[in-house]
Order: sequence, then C-alpha cells, then structure tokens
Amino acid sequence: MRVTANMFPDSLVRQLNRLNARQSRLQVEAATGQRIQFPEDNPSAMRRVLDLQAESQTLAQYRTNISRLTDQTAATYSSVRAVRNVSDRAGEIATLADGTRSAQELNIYATEVSQLIQQAVQLMNSQSQGDYLFSGTKSDTPPFALTLDANGNVASVTYQGNTSVTAAEIAANVKLSVQALGANTTGTGSRGVITDSRAGADFFQHLINLQNNLLAGDTTAIADTTRGQLAADEQNLITHIARLGSLTARLEAGAAVALDRTTSLEKLISREADADLSETLVRLSETQTAYKAALQSGATILNLSLLDYLR
Amino acid sequence: MSGLFGTLGVMARSLQTQQQAIATTGHNISNANNPAYARQRVAIQASLPTPSPIGMMGTGVEATAVVQIRNYLVDGQVQAETSALGYWEAQQQALEYAQASLGQSLNRTSAAGGADQPGLAAGLTELFNAFQSLSTNPTSTAERQVLLMKAANLATQFNQITQRLDGLWGTLNSTVSAGVTDANRLITDVAGLNEQIAALEMRTGGVANDLRDLRQQKVEELAKFTKIDTAQQPNGAVNVTIGGVLMVSDQHVLDTLDGYDAGGGQILLRAANAGTALPATSGSLAATIEVRDGTLATLSTQISELASRLITTVNQIHTTGFSLTGTTGAAFFTGTDSRTIGINSALLDDPARIQASGTSGAVGDNQVALALAQLAQQSHASLGNQTFSQRYHQSVATLGQALATANGRLADEQVVHDMLARQRASISGVSVEEEMTNLTTYQRAFEASARVMTVVDGLLETLINIKR
Repeated sequence: MRVTANMFPDSLVRQLNRLNARQSRLQVEAATGQRIQFPEDNPSAMRRVLDLQAESQTLAQYRTNISRLTDQTAATYSSVRAVRNVSDRAGEIATLADGTRSAQELNIYATEVSQLIQQAVQLMNSQSQGDYLFSGTKSDTPPFALTLDANGNVASVTYQGNTSVTAAEIAANVKLSVQALGANTTGTGSRGVITDSRAGADFFQHLINLQNNLLAGDTTAIADTTRGQLAADEQNLITHIARLGSLTARLEAGAAVALDRTTSLEKLISREADADLSETLVRLSETQTAYKAALQSGATILNLSLLDYLR
Repeated sequence: MSGLFGTLGVMARSLQTQQQAIATTGHNISNANNPAYARQRVAIQASLPTPSPIGMMGTGVEATAVVQIRNYLVDGQVQAETSALGYWEAQQQALEYAQASLGQSLNRTSAAGGADQPGLAAGLTELFNAFQSLSTNPTSTAERQVLLMKAANLATQFNQITQRLDGLWGTLNSTVSAGVTDANRLITDVAGLNEQIAALEMRTGGVANDLRDLRQQKVEELAKFTKIDTAQQPNGAVNVTIGGVLMVSDQHVLDTLDGYDAGGGQILLRAANAGTALPATSGSLAATIEVRDGTLATLSTQISELASRLITTVNQIHTTGFSLTGTTGAAFFTGTDSRTIGINSALLDDPARIQASGTSGAVGDNQVALALAQLAQQSHASLGNQTFSQRYHQSVATLGQALATANGRLADEQVVHDMLARQRASISGVSVEEEMTNLTTYQRAFEASARVMTVVDGLLETLINIKR
C-alpha cells in the first residue's frame, strides 16, 4: 500500500484516541471498582443489578421492620413478665388467706391486692414510642381505666382499647403481628393478656374479687373460686410469655434469613457489576505501555523526512 | 525541421514541460494537508516526430494534460459509508443525551439502601420503604416526615427527568431543522459547482480538477445528513437524488429539503417542491428523527405512565384511610403524570394528615400504610405485569441497549470508514517524499535540458567562428 503524507499522522491520531479511550475507561474501572457505571456499559447486567439492588434495599427495610418488631416484643415481654410477678404474689396471697388469718391480716392483704391491681394497671398502660402497647390499634388511648371507691379500694378496671392488631411485613408477603391485646372477649382474633374469653381469664376482675373477698373475710370463696380463677389467669399469662418468646425466636430467624439473603445478593451484584481489580490493573498497564510505545514510535517517525537529506 | 536550431526548440519545450511538472509538484505539496485534494500529475508524451531521410526524428516532449488521480469506485463507497457513519454518530449522540437526562447510574461505593444512591431506581424503593417504616410505627410523626420527604424527592425526580427529556426532544427537533438548512446550502453549492465545472471544462477542454475536489467534498458533507444518490453527467456535472426526488440536475436546483411540522410539533422531512415525504433511511437527519420519535418518545411515555400509575394506585388506597386527626378522603399525590406529579400540600403542611389507618378512630392501625408498602411487590397489568421498580429498570435497560447498539455499530462503521479513507488516501493522497523525489527528477531533467542548450549554443558559436 502506498502510504501518503497524511495517512501516517491520521492513523497515529486514531490509534492514540483509541488507546486514550481505553485507558480512561480502565482508569474509571480501577477508581470505582465497577465494571458497569451507566446503562450503555452492559444493559442486561444493569437491569439485573438494579433489580438486585432494589431487592437488597427492600431486604434492608425488612431488617429494619424486624428490629422494630423485636423492640416491640421486648417491651411487651417485660410488661407481661412484670404482670406475671403480680399474678404470682396474688396467688400467694390467695393461698395465705385461709381460715387461720385474722380479719386485720386479711385487711392488710386486701390493701396489698388493691396496690397490686394498681401496679398491674400501670404496667399494662405502658407505652413504647408514645403508643400504648396493649390497646390494640387504638394506641392513643390507655388500655385500662381504673376506678377507686371511697375507701381507696379498686372498684373496677375497664378495657378501653379495641381488638384489632397491626401486622408488619418481615419478608415479602409475610406479615407478622407481635402486638398483644389487653383484653379480647370476642372469642376470635388475637388473645388478651388480662382478659380472654377463650382462656377463661379476667385477671383484673378476679383480683378485684380477691380484694373484695379479703375485705369481707370470705376465705371460703377465696379457696373455692378465686384461687382457681387466678390459676387460669396465671396460665393465660404464661401462654403469652411463651408466645412472646417464640415470636422473638421467629424474628431472629427472619433477621438471619434476611441477612443471609442480603449477603448472597451482594455476591450476585458484585459478580455483575464489580471490576476484577487485578485484571483491570494488568490491562491498564498493558494499555499504558501500548500508549507509550505509540507516542514514542510516532514521534520518531514524524521527525524523519526526506527533506533532511535533500540539499 | 531539425538541425541545431531545431534541437534548441526541442530543449525549450523540454524546459517548459519540466517547469509545468515542477509547478504541479508544488501544487501537490501545497495541498498535502487538504483532505479533499486528489494529487495531480502532468501527463507527458513524446511530441510528434518529423520525417527525415534516416527515418522519423524525435522532437522531444510535450505536456498533454494535468490529470487527477482519483478512484470513483472508492469515492462512491466513501459517500455511502459517510451516510451510515453520520447515522450512527447522530444516534449515539442523541442517545447519550437521553442517558444523561435519565440520570441513572450505578454507585457501588455507597451502602445498599443508602440515601446517596443515584437515580429514580433508588427513589422508588425508598418511597415504598418509607411506607414500610410507617407501617411499623403508624403514629410516628418522624416516620411521616421521612415518608413525605422521600415522596417529594421522588416527585421532583420525576419532574426533572421529564423536563430534561422534553428539553432533549426540543433540541433534537431543532437539530433536524438546522440539518435541513445545512443540507439545502450544500445542495445549492453542488449545483453552483456543477455550473462552474461544466463551463470551465467546455471552454478549456481540460478537467477542472480542483473544482471537482471541492464538489466531491460538498457531496460527502451532504451524504452525512442523508443518504444521496449521485449520477455523473457527460458534461462533467453530478446529479443528486434524495429519496427518489431529483434535487440537482446540472446547474439547476430542482428541489430542496423541507422540514415540516407533522402535527405534534415534530419536524419531518419532505421535498419542498414535489411535496413528497422523504423517509430518511440513513444519515444524521434520519438518526435524529428515529431517536426522537422512537427511543426517546418511548422512554418519555414509559416514565410518564409509571408516574401516572403510581399516582392512581397510591391515591386509590390512601384516600380510603384515616389520618391521625381522623380525616379521610385526601389524595397522597397530586397531578396526573410525571410532569405534574407532586405531593398533596395539606399533607406537607401537617404530616399527621397522612392516612395510614384503615379504621376510623384507631390511630395505631396500619392497614393503609401496609397496603401502600405492599404495592412495591405487586405487578400491574398496565405496566406489562411488572412492579414499579421492574418497569423502570426495564426502561433503563432498553435505553442502555439502544445506546450500546449505537456504540457498537458506530465502532464498526468507523472501522469501515477509516479503511476506505485509507484506501482513498493511498490512491489520491499526496506523499511529500514522492513529490520531493519527483521534484529532484524534474530538476535534474530541467538542468540536463539546459545543459543540452548550452552545448548547442557552443556548437553554434563554433560554427559562427569558422568564418573568422
């Protein structure tokens, strides 16, 4: 082929441009660690990475959900646990208050029971982040309202919440509710901690019964009825504690699954989008060598001319 | 006519011929960097011999023509490939703008789910994640504010992308108009050059080399805009046809390109006089029109549809809910598409009015927030049975695919065009070394001819001195 005056510089410029473009691309790859930056780099991989990233972000959200539910479970658990201590003490009093006790002793027990009821109401009215834990979805209303009589004894405790619970997603389309209701007498849905028609529990009413029986000195009624009622209440509380324990385990398992999945997604994303740094650097230095060689040889050849030798 | 005086005449013609050759060499060297130039040669031949008793006597040399070294086959191929190159260059440029307008890139250095993830993809996920967060804590004002911020971000992103895509549409439209003006100027130039070439060649009987170079350059510039067909005429003119319409015939401009409004503001091509639509098949005008009415229009529609579907589905659920203050029936998003999408200002003023609860009077209820969050995983028939995110990712991939194809094809086309350009340079290009060598040859021939003259002069002097 006949090589003319402009062919050589033209092709040198083209080669340098190509090498420059390649160099700049590899440099960006090395600097960002990414093989794909823009959709044009690899459209199908870009789409997969965007899908995977969306999934990964959703999983991160599920993990946030799980950690919030775990907090809520812990708060509920500590309240129920404390109520169970109240229940234990009430059971003790019901056992101690037999026919051998004097009226004065029974009166002192009655005062203690009255205090226990108030303590339990206070525990059941506890809040987490401004929301009442046990009023169902009426979380702006304290679940239990206490009325005292003229003597400072508990006259009644009424449930002011509703029987709906909230559920949140812990995985795609897996909804979980950790909320415990204060009372549920409908026979369906989430069970009540204090009052539940299915378990025969009505803790506050039974405590009030105990208090009233103690005041009246009716140890027979306590032995015959109240003790049994309180045992049912205790059983109900234990069921709740067990449920909260298993919920915590389930949430932990859910978090572990989400974390596992996040890790494997990260691997998939990395495989699609990340540059193999050693390969990139090797190729970059290759390109740099070629660029240097092109510059050097080009400069030498461009300087040579027949004109230097013609006189 | 021979003898010493005859020889003097022969040498005088030789000197003249060498001078012409040297002048042409100078012309070649002067135009060494002119890309449109084809090298020229002085065609020389032995002049007519004269009869003599001993046979035909040579009478030296004469220059017959200045010829241009050009291969019309290669010229034709370069012209066709120029159209293809122009097409892919314009495609790539327009699609690169579209990619920039969409603003979707990957940033792996920021944490997954981090706020600094670029583009609409993260914006969509973050909106639904904010709904999720609200569902785990429906009474929290903080969560409500985060949700409003994320939603407002997303709405702004939609607005901005649409604005940029609309702007690009306008730019591409004016590119077509400007291209039509440039192409018409070139059509007039070619006709003008046809006239000059025909007149000059008729008068002098030679070939108007340099004007032909210029015309070939104009024709190739024109080919960059649109695919053209050319036909050489016996009088030296070149006729130009675009899309079957004869535009240039000899020195006459029969028709020009016209960019007309096709109804929706988009500029299309037709022949100004013939009135026929010109379906541009190659060249930058065709590419610009194709990207504008194809990839870009589809992308705009998809983004707009995505936004309107988001507005209707979110509002449909949100209006059924109840706010912390017990109000109901308010929309979450305002507007109808990606241009107009915004957040209901009543909610922005008071985040408590976000209707997260499904039951009146139960502020702790999260049914609506949860249903909104679950929209992220639902596929919608109007989005091709894909989720919002998947649909958007598909749009990104489609645009990326179009640009990747343009990149690949442009690289291929560049190689073909470069090869043809090299081939042409190899045939028609000026080689300075070659010209210098020729110059030396002509210089020596000139010197030798002069030397012969000196010898003849000496001989004549000798002859004259015989008489003394």
